[in-house]
Amino acid sequence: MVENMTGLHPKFAVVGHPNKGKSSIVSTLAFDDSVQISDTPGTTTKKRSFPLTVDGRVVYELFDTPGFQRARSVLSWLQQHEVTADKRPETVRAFIGEHRENPRYNDEIELLEPIMDGAGIIYVVDGSKPYGEEYEAEMEILRWTGQPSMALINLIDDTNYVEEWKRALGQYFKMVRLFNPMKATFPQHLSLLQSIAQLKEEWIGPVSESIELFKTYHEQMFEQTAQSITHLLYRSLSHVERLPLRTEEATEAEKILVFERYKAKLRTFEEVSQHRVEQVWHHENLEKAQQALLFDGMDLFSKESASLFGLSRKELLITGTTGGAVTGAGIDLLLGGATLFLGSAIGAVVGGTSAFFGFSELSDVKVLGQKLGKRYLETGPMKNVNFPYILLNRALFHAVKIAGRSHALRDKVMLEMGRDFTDRWMDDALRKSLDKCHKAFRSGNEVKPEVLKTYESLVKTVLKRLVQ
Amino acid sequence: MNLTSYLDLYALLDKKSGSREERRAFGLEHENLKEKPLQQLLLWTKEYRGRLKRPRLSEKIGSYLYGITLTLGIIAFLLGLFSGIALLNYSGHEPVNVVYFMAMVILLPLLTMALALISMFRAGASRSFLVHLSPAYWMEKIIRLFPGSVKKTFDEVQINPAIVNWLIIKRSQMLALIFSAGLLLALLGMVVTKDIAFAWSTTLHIAPQEFHRMLETVALPWKGLFPSAVPSLSLIEQSQYFRLGEKLNPEMVKHASQLGEWWKFLACATLFYAIILRFCMWLLSVAGYRRILKRSFFNLDGSEKLLREMNEPVITTSSSKREPAFESEGKHYSREINVFNDAYDRTLGWAMSEDDLKVLNDAMGVISPMMEDVGGTNSLEEDRKIVSRTEGSVLLYVKAWEPPTMDFVDFLEDLAKTADTITVAPVGMREEAYLPGNRELAVWGRKLQNLGEKKVWLKI
Repeated sequence: MVENMTGLHPKFAVVGHPNKGKSSIVSTLAFDDSVQISDTPGTTTKKRSFPLTVDGRVVYELFDTPGFQRARSVLSWLQQHEVTADKRPETVRAFIGEHRENPRYNDEIELLEPIMDGAGIIYVVDGSKPYGEEYEAEMEILRWTGQPSMALINLIDDTNYVEEWKRALGQYFKMVRLFNPMKATFPQHLSLLQSIAQLKEEWIGPVSESIELFKTYHEQMFEQTAQSITHLLYRSLSHVERLPLRTEEATEAEKILVFERYKAKLRTFEEVSQHRVEQVWHHENLEKAQQALLFDGMDLFSKESASLFGLSRKELLITGTTGGAVTGAGIDLLLGGATLFLGSAIGAVVGGTSAFFGFSELSDVKVLGQKLGKRYLETGPMKNVNFPYILLNRALFHAVKIAGRSHALRDKVMLEMGRDFTDRWMDDALRKSLDKCHKAFRSGNEVKPEVLKTYESLVKTVLKRLVQ
Repeated sequence: MNLTSYLDLYALLDKKSGSREERRAFGLEHENLKEKPLQQLLLWTKEYRGRLKRPRLSEKIGSYLYGITLTLGIIAFLLGLFSGIALLNYSGHEPVNVVYFMAMVILLPLLTMALALISMFRAGASRSFLVHLSPAYWMEKIIRLFPGSVKKTFDEVQINPAIVNWLIIKRSQMLALIFSAGLLLALLGMVVTKDIAFAWSTTLHIAPQEFHRMLETVALPWKGLFPSAVPSLSLIEQSQYFRLGEKLNPEMVKHASQLGEWWKFLACATLFYAIILRFCMWLLSVAGYRRILKRSFFNLDGSEKLLREMNEPVITTSSSKREPAFESEGKHYSREINVFNDAYDRTLGWAMSEDDLKVLNDAMGVISPMMEDVGGTNSLEEDRKIVSRTEGSVLLYVKAWEPPTMDFVDFLEDLAKTADTITVAPVGMREEAYLPGNRELAVWGRKLQNLGEKKVWLKI
């Protein structure tokens, strides 16, 4: 699909003094964590377009721009060509035309060009630092452009100079809003868009459309995350790992090997799912800087994981799943023993009440085979009744962290774990519903799409509750 | 919808064929299919099939399955044919016992069909015991004995086990049907080519009347259509025999021509129980197979994503161009001082008022006879005048939190032409006791390093 840049859509240029959070705001508004953000001024050297497109049609376009570098020189040039107010935009155009090839004014040209092409101005300042007179030249230049404008006060640090900024900005801009890209929630994001739409009457329609699109987009993100988590649970609980045997009997080393491979596969499933969730929420660049960021290397099968993300003994007893697990194992054995075709089941049979208490046992390790085929060791599907909750809790925790993370943040995600995370979303009714699905997943039988849909819907509801 | 399209879709999804945009373009092109997801998947598979390397997975598996099924089909037919011939083998010394044949064409089909029905209910289980009883199950095992590449193909494919189960059930019914056709053909062939005297014999104490009632029940399905294909009581009475004494009942010999009448019953029984009912079972298995196949299209890893990407608009918010990696210029500044001089010839403040400068000089313990603000709201001309009258040592305060702009750099370059030394002193906010942060100092240091002006010192 070819992008349809007709030029008729609303455009907004995010401009301001260097290092005041322009890129952070763009990054947040565009759900794009690839924007270069640092505390070094001059990180952005070229204007960059962030169009909101639907099937290739541009609904609106956002521009990240470099900061003003020689505002006084530009203003001086403009003032030397003093004209009546109605001609001022022409003078700005003349400045651009005359200095387009002049490297001295590269940054000013980059930021003024989209404005003179019709972009609305979003002027960004840092409300945590005092207002200064050096901003006045910038604001004056923007006034010369004649384009609709608004100011955004970004609170980068804890100190607060918002009131003095409001007084100053109010003299230059039609609208002044407070917006913290690091902490902005989705509704705040939409509210900002609504404000931007008010800058020009013609923009109300397209921006309202974009707000609806963002809502759809956000909903899609939740759906895709829920799908990914459901898929992770289904794959992990139903997975069966096989190891062909060289000899008639399995050695202890082979039993350990198949079990380790089984665990490694489950870890891979979790990693893949986490990566997918990061992609859905446009945090693709997170991984490079933050390997195993969330769980701080806490293994999926560790005791810490079980104690933090698993169900408590009481909760496990309430679910009443232990009996089911024992029965399940019994039926498996019964079938295995009764069917000559499946071969005899030997090896450790795990289950029963021991499955509750920890992670020492996950699944049976069986030797299977038949006279016509090869013999092999097999482990899985998952029998441990606690494991699905550990995996689900970890997946939800990760998804909540990612979904709630600002795209402007570049630091590491800090893990603040506690048992209260489970309490925030789990109740008896939900646990029962989840457990029904977990049983179906680990049955080893075909799982009907309806069951997967039900699970997905439960996960989505929980996710939305946790994120919003 | 068939196994070929399912396997092709499996292979396409496995290779992640088609970009997000291509998938959406396909969805828009076939918007009339939006509410028909299966048709969408089938059509997409058809259009993208060409992207798969030949021979395709579906071709490989299809050809193996065809070969195996054909072989087993021929074996089943021959087995049925020869079983029929063996059961109806008539030497002329003693009649052919219809009970054997009836067992083969009525009891065995009913029993296996009952098992097949149960296995259909249990087909969702990945290890269905009843499914594994089927000879078709052994097809898979036979395939495993094939040379490496065939085995590898099967090992790599991870399709819904329920499909495999239904495939086995369906092919079992087909093989049983072929077997029954062999039996029927044997019966008709033997009847045409030989004069067979049928009789019935059993150790059980069954009176002809009871046997008649039983046969009437068995023959209910065709009784109305072919009354002559229901053995009469007199025929049953005449054709009962006992082997004791190895002599035939004279009554039986007397009515030898009538004993052949049993063939109609046997033919109808074969036709109904072994063929028509089996055909119905086969239809049932086909329906079950199609149902599970249809469901499996949606269960395939990636098919839900494919449908979503076809039907949901592509919304993008990111920039299409990747931003070049930013590398900060300059290193740590080499001309740094830790303490102020006691006095400077002139104190300048970048975007600061003269009042601010007085406070700062007091706070820093610096004496300076001249204090002037530069930058900020000053015009460039005003700054140029200040520069022109500046000489000696200059202390230039800057706001540490405001990053140095090129406007400042231009001013500094001009100032360096007239001043002897310039001390750039970044100061923090009042709340911070005018102390600059380390990160802020580093920013200023890098900028000055980049400038490379020997007269300029940085107060840290």
